Amino acid sequence: MTVFNNRISCVAAACALFSTSALAQDPSLTNPAISAVLDGYYQNTERPMAERVEGFGLGHTELAMSANIDDMFYGKMTAVVEMHEGETELGLEEAFIQTLAMPGGFSVRAGRFLSDVGYLNNQHVHTDAFSDRPAAYRAFLGSHYFDDGVRLNYVAPTDIYWAMGIEAFKGDNMRAVDEHGERDFKDLGIYTAYTKLGGDIGANGSWQAGLSYMRNENGRMTADEHEEHVELGDDDHGHDHSHSANYTGENTYIADFVYKWAPNGNYKYQHLTVSGEYFKVTDFTPLAHEDEHLSEQSVDDQQGWYLSGVYQFSPNWSAGLRYGEVDTQEMHGDHFHGQKLKESEVSLAWHHSHFSTVRLQYTNQKGTNFDGIEDDNVITLQYVMTLGAHGAHQF
Amino acid sequence: MRINSNLTKIAALALMTSYSSIANAGLNIFACEPEYAALAKELAPDAKIYSATTAMQDPHQVQARPSLIAKMRQADLAVCAGAELEVGWLPMLQMKSSNSKVRSTDQGLFYAAEQVATLDRLESVDRSMGDVHAQGNPHLHFSPERILQVAQGLTDKLIQLDPDSKAEYQASLADFSKRWSEAIPVWEAKAASLQGKKVIAYHSSFRYLFSWVGIEQVADLEPKPGLPPSSSHLASLLKRTEAGDIMAIIVASYQDERGANWLGERASLPVQVLPMSVGGNEQSTDLFSLYDSVLDLLLGVKSS
Repeated sequence: MTVFNNRISCVAAACALFSTSALAQDPSLTNPAISAVLDGYYQNTERPMAERVEGFGLGHTELAMSANIDDMFYGKMTAVVEMHEGETELGLEEAFIQTLAMPGGFSVRAGRFLSDVGYLNNQHVHTDAFSDRPAAYRAFLGSHYFDDGVRLNYVAPTDIYWAMGIEAFKGDNMRAVDEHGERDFKDLGIYTAYTKLGGDIGANGSWQAGLSYMRNENGRMTADEHEEHVELGDDDHGHDHSHSANYTGENTYIADFVYKWAPNGNYKYQHLTVSGEYFKVTDFTPLAHEDEHLSEQSVDDQQGWYLSGVYQFSPNWSAGLRYGEVDTQEMHGDHFHGQKLKESEVSLAWHHSHFSTVRLQYTNQKGTNFDGIEDDNVITLQYVMTLGAHGAHQF
Repeated sequence: MRINSNLTKIAALALMTSYSSIANAGLNIFACEPEYAALAKELAPDAKIYSATTAMQDPHQVQARPSLIAKMRQADLAVCAGAELEVGWLPMLQMKSSNSKVRSTDQGLFYAAEQVATLDRLESVDRSMGDVHAQGNPHLHFSPERILQVAQGLTDKLIQLDPDSKAEYQASLADFSKRWSEAIPVWEAKAASLQGKKVIAYHSSFRYLFSWVGIEQVADLEPKPGLPPSSSHLASLLKRTEAGDIMAIIVASYQDERGANWLGERASLPVQVLPMSVGGNEQSTDLFSLYDSVLDLLLGVKSS
């Protein structure tokens, strides 16, 4: 596996061909767009920090409803039913309103929604080309980061696409571990800023690139003098279903890009999607004045990246490759242990129609000091089907 | 920080140019399909017109890509087929472009299908029927009479948005309608010998064309609308061709020819690709030449 230790290993994997559903053509109050997603799978073991468990299971079973509320507001609600250790849990992944008629290219979204940082985060999981998010997403964003908050977005009136925005969130799911429950967390935990640029390259290709910054007021760990072994986040080595980030820091920087190609720009028969993201998470070590033992130690920043390529070679078949790494830091009393996880993934999907997908995915995981993973193989067989309103897709 | 200052410069420049373009009138028109870009060009020759798709792209499956968001952000008017043809991407563009002008048909949004009676409306739609549209077939630009109705509706919309140029728009409409009305009988005379011919075609893309010239589409290469031709379906079509009454297999410029070629070879039938819209072949440079080219190609395949 030396190849994978090289930069050459960047030849990897994939992302969502079709994305997030939104509204039907003209849903109204009496006719809202209602759609459901059915997701079921079987896998031989589980990926760390992921939502899917070993054996048979259900993924995100979603029920979404959206409509224009009036000429000023659009509203959407997505309820997610998940199974967790035999219990059925009902979660609310989205419940937001968005302005439709603000002047000057501005819009405001408020409520619970997916943050627009990075490329994949604002896409719904069911549109992904792989059964789980890349390890960097699972480690730093709890697979997909949605929260209660507000966003201001601006689109510039330029021929090259240029959007930028700022968000503020509660950030409960992004808090660093609090072993003793005595920490005074800030209620406004997360601030983000992002910008995205995009355009076409000839008739065949389109691209988008983005830069995001996330400030996490509650992301820094507190020193622990009593415990010999404290992990970042609430990683309990078991199945974590709380959508919480496992590894946090005060500052997160994300760079992302996506390139899509189709012959003549016609996406019906063949198309290729190449995407990649890089994460850097800094300022997670306890402040020096809290614990003099840690003050002199320099700890590497936590980081992660992935590169993915998905090719749909006929309307019925698509295949994807993805390679990703994540480097995290685990606190052991007065010092940190570096952890590393590398994932190489291949997926093959059959699409009977636009609305039904059956996917077989193989993941090889190589870990260093990472939850006991050394060289694990995960095989997942999954279906994802949507019913109801024909949604529009994000790029 | 050099990037940031460059971006600021680009933004400032863009703002300046966009404001100056408002000053010398001329609407900024976003057309969902090239046939409506061509129609807009006939009716608003001074407008800045952008077509979101080409005749080589299936308008059912378009990516809500960044360049389209940027174009829609600047548009005063969006002209689309409607009848849910663009349902997979237009709502996302509207949401992402934050341009309130093109959000509603009360303002700068125009659906051609709302101006005419569409064919094949459905009382109820079920996904098992495939990718069908309850509001009828949206590929209505091959109906010359409907094009006249759409032209009238689009002119009304242009006047609503830009009342100062009312006289110009009315003159353009009168000119276009006159030339178009004169062309219709010429096309119909030319196409007379096509009446009653039977074809196998891909999707219901040419529903209006066939209905107009009297061609009968006896079978569809798609087993269900939106699903690609399957081998079992093609085998059943091959059986159908044994009756010997089929003139040709017709495929649109954005459709895959493999299924048609397979069938054509085995059934010894010609396969003809027709331009789906303006730009679909070399000859089709506007709506008039598109009609000319499509009829020429059909006549060519008939005599072969």
